[in-house]
Amino acid sequence: MVDARQRIVEASYACVARRGMAKTTVEDVAREAGLSRATVYRTFPGGRDELIDATVSWAVFDFFAKLYDRIQGASSLEEVMERGISFAYRSILDHEVLQRVMQTEPDKLLPALTVESNRIRGGIADVLAPYLMDRGLVAGVDPGEAADFLARMVLSYISAPGRWDLEDPEQVARLVRFELLAGVVVPGVSR
Amino acid sequence: MVGVDDTVPFLASGSPEAPASGGDMDQSPHRVRIIDGTLACLARHGTAKTTVDDIARESGVSRATVYRAFPGGRDEILGAVVDTEMARLFSALGVRLGNAADLTTALVGGIIEASTRLRDHAALHFLVEHEPGIILGHLAFDESDRLLVTASKFTAPFLARWMSPDEAERVAEWATRIVLSYAVSPSSRLDLCNEADATRLVATFMLPGIRALQSFASGPIDITPYSTYTAAPKPDTRPTHRQLARGTPT
Repeated sequence: MVDARQRIVEASYACVARRGMAKTTVEDVAREAGLSRATVYRTFPGGRDELIDATVSWAVFDFFAKLYDRIQGASSLEEVMERGISFAYRSILDHEVLQRVMQTEPDKLLPALTVESNRIRGGIADVLAPYLMDRGLVAGVDPGEAADFLARMVLSYISAPGRWDLEDPEQVARLVRFELLAGVVVPGVSR
Repeated sequence: MVGVDDTVPFLASGSPEAPASGGDMDQSPHRVRIIDGTLACLARHGTAKTTVDDIARESGVSRATVYRAFPGGRDEILGAVVDTEMARLFSALGVRLGNAADLTTALVGGIIEASTRLRDHAALHFLVEHEPGIILGHLAFDESDRLLVTASKFTAPFLARWMSPDEAERVAEWATRIVLSYAVSPSSRLDLCNEADATRLVATFMLPGIRALQSFASGPIDITPYSTYTAAPKPDTRPTHRQLARGTPT
């Protein structure tokens, strides 16, 4: 059974997908969720702003939950990063709602996305950490610092690939194994 | 929308020439004065509350003078402010990079210079605090790509003293990413304005990566990418929302 908060957030997302952020009102969301306005305001006392923040937060979580599914079963650090970067990059390009809101209302979306990416960075670092330890770190490298650095780089590359063609698996492999991991993990056999 | 423009000769050519020229050069003393006056206004009130009158007053010139120098008004002034500040940043970076005797010094010095100037920039600071949408609008996705290209085109020639031009561009792009990431989302454990921290980052994360890329380029190494594999499915241990969005400060 889906609770009211989740129902409202998903309804809000559907409204944003249809009409964009600026045109999504509490009334629209309440109607979409099949709930009263009062219930929506009770659940989100901060009103529309709080609701939009929660919607972005949920959309980001949903994105990374799907990403997590995709990297499940990766048997090495290289594999988790390569699969993760490739899939995440493609997903961002294919994400219709994100692309549309970015075109039309970036100044509303981006502050919320930045707050979320700070939180997500911790999540990515947590996913990478056991793979890092398993792989073996270069002497003197602090695991927390390494995980944070790699998480920052992953977020940076998937949102702006720069000179790298992230749809080319060989380039992704080169990026991960040489540029990103060379200073971090012990060279030699990777599983 | 204001932003880094590829038609600005100084930035596009990537070489350390005189700051951007163009437009009414006979107005140049007024131009710089007006730009600096605008920066002072932005540092105090941001873009929303900075009018041409404020700019004129702060710059000690008349409204007419402002419009003569910038016929496009406020929007043109804001665009010129961005271009000028970018040129100033790259100019300072150029000095730092040009004086470096080795690659480590160049990377560390460049990262510290850029990070410190970004941190201490009063107008930028105000905007980040109170009008984040404007700043972040220039850091998202495509805009970020353009910024990476511009910054790396400028700094790459300095790094090419120690590596091929192609490698130098990749390394310059990488250094720019690093500066941007820690500037937008500061870390409590690593301060890139601090020489010891910047040195540690370069030595630990960057130099080995650069060497590895160089040895890859110089000889055949077999790497079969993992993303072409498909793995057998494993049990669902999907993290909860709380786990994924921990918000642990780093």
